Amino acid sequence: MFEPVPPSYWVALSAALFAAGAVGVLTRRSAILVFLSVELMLNAANLSLVAFANRWADAGAAVAMSGQTVVFVVLAIAAAEVAVGLGILVAIFRDRASTDVDVLSEVRS
Amino acid sequence: MLAFAAIATVMLIGAIGVVTLRQPVHAALSLVGTLLALAIAYVQLNAGFLAAIQVIVYAGAIMVLFLFVIMLLALDGEAPAPSLTWLRPAAWGAGALALVAVLAVLARDPIGPASPAALLEVFAGSGAEGVADQLFGPMVLSFHLVGVLLLTGIVAAVGLVQRRAGQAAEARARAGRAGADAPDAPPLPGREPVEV
Repeated sequence: MFEPVPPSYWVALSAALFAAGAVGVLTRRSAILVFLSVELMLNAANLSLVAFANRWADAGAAVAMSGQTVVFVVLAIAAAEVAVGLGILVAIFRDRASTDVDVLSEVRS
Repeated sequence: MLAFAAIATVMLIGAIGVVTLRQPVHAALSLVGTLLALAIAYVQLNAGFLAAIQVIVYAGAIMVLFLFVIMLLALDGEAPAPSLTWLRPAAWGAGALALVAVLAVLARDPIGPASPAALLEVFAGSGAEGVADQLFGPMVLSFHLVGVLLLTGIVAAVGLVQRRAGQAAEARARAGRAGADAPDAPPLPGREPVEV
């Protein structure tokens, strides 16, 4: 088996991934790249959920496994979100021939 | 610890690639690298079932959908000049600040490991059994809600395409009535961005 890694390290790695995703959401201009960054943030959250599920093994199987079950639910939600989001993206692209989020300022007053 | 260093390096390189690479296909492929490294991390964290799901659903189905849309739209690299020049350094500064804050908290209060005996006892199998016990036990409500959400997502995606198809047929019918040579598909006018 693997030698154990302190949970702090996994949480730090998850924070780094989340920060990178947040930077991507803020700096990217193509909508599909913003979307990819959002996926990165979702996965960072999943990593820290799994790490905490591992750390809370002392509290019993119910507590530890509920963390992993939340990750499962997040995966299903991500799948639904991607289906709808990419559908909207294709609709916008057909209308504008561009997915630049800076151009999409129609609702601005 | 060596395995952790390797996984973390791959993940961080992939994450930086997602944020900085200009071609959408390159960014998507580096995200695939991050997701696969994440699956290995799940195995290390005693979540074998989730690792399998991560590879099949995330790195498989979801990323294929992304690559498909990138190819469908023939997206090329984004223009390098941003409209707000201060935004890029500010975003990197905010991300670095958030990371340093979390690292500072972790350095002050490190999270101790679980006892090895409990790890062996709780994570005896791959985790599929434990996840199923939770999903169809205490968390059955969220299971049903996810089902409703997925159905809503399918209806919404079909609705988006359906409306589009209806408009195309209408445009074709109009063109046919006018007697003009009907184009096979209605042109997709790139509407000029509205000046505000």
